[in-house]
Amino acid sequence: MSVLSILGVISSAIFSGASLLYATLGEILDERAGVVDLGLEGVMLVSAATGFGVTVRTGNPYLGVLAAMLAGGLMNLLFAYLVVTRRANQLASGLALMFFGFGMSALIGRPYVGSRINGLPRYSLPGLSDLPPLISSQFRFDLLIYLALPTAILIGWLLFRTRWGLGLRAVGENPNAAFAAGRDPRWIRYQALFLGGALAGLGAAHLSIAWTMTWGEYMTAGRGFIAVALVIFSKWHPLRAVAGALLFGGAVAFQLLLQASGIPISPFLLDTIPYVLTLLVLIAWGGTRKHAAPASLGRVYLGAEQ
Amino acid sequence: MKKSLFTVLCLLVIAAFLLPACKPAATPTAEPTTAVEPPTAVPVEPTEEPSAVPTEEEPCLIIGAIYVGPVNDAGYNQAMHDGLMEVKENIACVDLLEAENVFEGPDAERVMENMIAEGATLIFPTSFGHQEPAFNVAQKHPDVIFEHAGGWMMAGNFANFYGKPPETWYLMGVAAGMMTETDKLGFVAAMPLGWTLTFVNAFELGAQSVNPEAETIVTFTGSWSDRAKEAAATDALINQGVDVVTMHVDSPATVIQTAETRGVYSIGFQSLAAQQYAPEFWITGAGFTFGPLMTGFAQSVIEGTWEPAFIRCGVADGCMAVAPYGPKVPDAVKAKVDEVLAQLTAGTLVIFQGPLVDQDGALRVAEGEVLAEEELGNTDWFVKGVIGQPQ
Amino acid sequence: MTDKPSPRLLLKLDPLVAALRYLTIFLVAFALFGLILWLAGKDPLQAIRDTFSSTLGTGYGLSEVVVKMIPLLFTAVAVALPSRVGLINVGGEGQLYMGAWLAAWAALTFSALPPWALLPLMAAMGMVGGALWAFIPAFLRARGLVNETITTLLMNYVAPSIVTFFIYGPWRSPLNALYPQTIDFVPAARLPAFFGTRVHLGLLLALLFLLLYWLVIKYTRWGLEMRAIGGNPQAARRNGLPLTTYVVAVLCIGGALAGLAGMSEVSGIHGRLRPGFSPGFGYMGFLISWLSGGGPLGILIMSFLTAVISTGGDILQIKQGLPFAVVNILLAISLFVILARPSLLTKGKQA
Repeated sequence: MSVLSILGVISSAIFSGASLLYATLGEILDERAGVVDLGLEGVMLVSAATGFGVTVRTGNPYLGVLAAMLAGGLMNLLFAYLVVTRRANQLASGLALMFFGFGMSALIGRPYVGSRINGLPRYSLPGLSDLPPLISSQFRFDLLIYLALPTAILIGWLLFRTRWGLGLRAVGENPNAAFAAGRDPRWIRYQALFLGGALAGLGAAHLSIAWTMTWGEYMTAGRGFIAVALVIFSKWHPLRAVAGALLFGGAVAFQLLLQASGIPISPFLLDTIPYVLTLLVLIAWGGTRKHAAPASLGRVYLGAEQ
Repeated sequence: MKKSLFTVLCLLVIAAFLLPACKPAATPTAEPTTAVEPPTAVPVEPTEEPSAVPTEEEPCLIIGAIYVGPVNDAGYNQAMHDGLMEVKENIACVDLLEAENVFEGPDAERVMENMIAEGATLIFPTSFGHQEPAFNVAQKHPDVIFEHAGGWMMAGNFANFYGKPPETWYLMGVAAGMMTETDKLGFVAAMPLGWTLTFVNAFELGAQSVNPEAETIVTFTGSWSDRAKEAAATDALINQGVDVVTMHVDSPATVIQTAETRGVYSIGFQSLAAQQYAPEFWITGAGFTFGPLMTGFAQSVIEGTWEPAFIRCGVADGCMAVAPYGPKVPDAVKAKVDEVLAQLTAGTLVIFQGPLVDQDGALRVAEGEVLAEEELGNTDWFVKGVIGQPQ
Repeated sequence: MTDKPSPRLLLKLDPLVAALRYLTIFLVAFALFGLILWLAGKDPLQAIRDTFSSTLGTGYGLSEVVVKMIPLLFTAVAVALPSRVGLINVGGEGQLYMGAWLAAWAALTFSALPPWALLPLMAAMGMVGGALWAFIPAFLRARGLVNETITTLLMNYVAPSIVTFFIYGPWRSPLNALYPQTIDFVPAARLPAFFGTRVHLGLLLALLFLLLYWLVIKYTRWGLEMRAIGGNPQAARRNGLPLTTYVVAVLCIGGALAGLAGMSEVSGIHGRLRPGFSPGFGYMGFLISWLSGGGPLGILIMSFLTAVISTGGDILQIKQGLPFAVVNILLAISLFVILARPSLLTKGKQA
């Protein structure tokens, strides 16, 4: 395996992992506030279709990205209404959201299936343009990739260094105590879910507008679920999520590299690597998980007024 | 609290409003969104004008078509759809029912039954995997005609037609072999099916005929349509030094666009509409142009003269076409491709004639022998010069 | 405190009232779905009319609805049973594939057996496959290591790949030239169908297990203990109920049932293994179990309605040009309405 191939895996890991990272960051926000959002797959699909559609219509990929974020936020608002105001079970609501996303994204995206867009422009990392084109062309990234790490840092800062983040985490640990301390758990959860959905939408936008530059039904291929797993993998911490997303993105790229090198392992078995990896990590960290998860995660907050 | 029901409805309505209403309403029929380059081949026979049946009355024929994917994928499904659109243009009184994303399994039967219930008397199951479900339905409806694409089954009301892709793949290989500077060609394939392997072999043989050093690297994505995987696979191939990429997946869009972004040549397949994705680095492509053939079928069904026939038609017959060349292709390449096409048509050049050696060096086709037509669908090996796993 | 609509409430009432409640749910859902269709430029009334006429209006349509219902019955109980003890089994999809896989292995290996021996063997293997697949998450949950929701979900993605590996590898059919599938099963391995339709023996099996489920929950000691655990696990443990055993047993049985769904599909409908043969039966089963609150009658009704909706998607595509996937919207909205628990359903009872 040449240096070029290894660099290729890294490059591919970054491309593939970017959308994962954004979705994971979104889910971290949701779960830190105490809500499990299993519907990310549906949220991402709707965002991808909406963003792509707007890009086709307006010719402006930046508008498309904004539209995707908005769509993601709205989808999650719907979810928020169910689990916060109507106090519905979070898991069932999430899965229902996923199905809703399957259908809505197909409906929204249908006119744009074969459309061609100018995706987000890609820029080389400074200083790399002197290298041979084969190498430098691998490391030309679009805006969303460059923003990924800063976003993770920003979310980390928001969560751990601001009062807002403190409030959010407090709600995630014990909403009743937070309420007693003068916060409004419901409002905070709404905010967290909206932001989380917008972040997932950002990830979806990267997938359809920046990377593949197409739209197809079910194109997220499980990224929404991997994100949920990655949240646990990264112990609900944004910076660790970066490592996790890179690892997963890299797994897919590595599988393709093995194929291209003529190594005789079935691509289907290689496909399972990311999930098996997550499972193993979950098992390994199972013992400590109890200390890391927000304490009220998944439980319905009934509020002070019964 | 009656209020809560009201709030439910209100919020859901608002959500429903905001999502689709912000975006343009979906168009009722799936028109291809781009102009298709006219095929370079000449249609086989001039189609007859329909008899004087006014279009406002009962349609003279209702055709049902099922596709395995979406019709504007700039790939196989679009090629089939475009062919049927041509039928509608040629015979104005034809009505067309279409169903996309029909899984290749027993559920397809139900879709076809529904179409027959809606009055369809000519059905086009367009994907390989629709063959058996279609055959089952055909048994139950002897008065409905079935024209399946790409299979082998035949019956009183069931026939099979297809192009001759290995031919065009050989031509694409010739073009690729001449254009490559690194001598490495890339092939993104969906799954290791017999026909796919045959296409790869034909491609490589074509390349080798003009460039003995040429190699083809094959990666499988494991799915007919996983865009993210296709993008990653294309990138992986390019990282191996490939400078010409082609594919056998449902839609060439992602592969071609990724190649274009990296500044690498691309060759399309299945539909001539693929060229729009690579304005600069497009070499050429091969597409199915079944319009005239399908019109012939429809006409014969209307007139009651339809007979089941096993049809394989190639470029010379008008069923397939070589796409227009991209801006970077020199005349020498175009001339060579035309020359080879003439040889293939005349029969002076046979693609799969021996000696053919596989990747491990074993002799698969002896000197003087030709690989049998029936064998092409059962290929499980790659010719020497191909890098990849045939299993 | 429960945070799902009380199933017993919906069922213990006057059946007419219960039917009226279900009807209202679907009326609201259809209304919203119609709204979305209308915004998309389609004719909602025609669409809904077409959906019903194509599915319930003809004998063929009805038979196809029943065909779709069979795996749904299995996967719904596969979710409902673990939910009695408070477990969430989202892994029906993966368990279904593994059940199909082992059943296919039996069909291909023991193809010389007569049908009265081969079919039960395949059914048993289907159950074993699903149960084994559920065992890993069950074990992890029982050990307190990982929540079963996440593990079952992740394993849903591993199972189809394993199946596909076998389809392209050891079990590859010589016809693999054109489309991927295994060698055809011998006729002895096929569940027989009735009256020239595609409705097969799996239906009876599914109804049987639904009945068993009802009997166990309502009339056996196990049912009582499961409800106790589901209601208050701490108290149940203090009373000496073997929580761990129940967790593992119940999840594995659930998995076994989902595995049966897989077996019945490949034996009754396909006659071979194909990649991706399940259009989400596992997830739909989860939805059904939730829509119905986990009660057997509700499961029957909801499976039927779900089958009607998803079968009706064909006609929506053919006549209205809508993508088939839009039926998911209708399913989802139905679930939203129930989850939102408007007072109409719960008659003022608080969560």
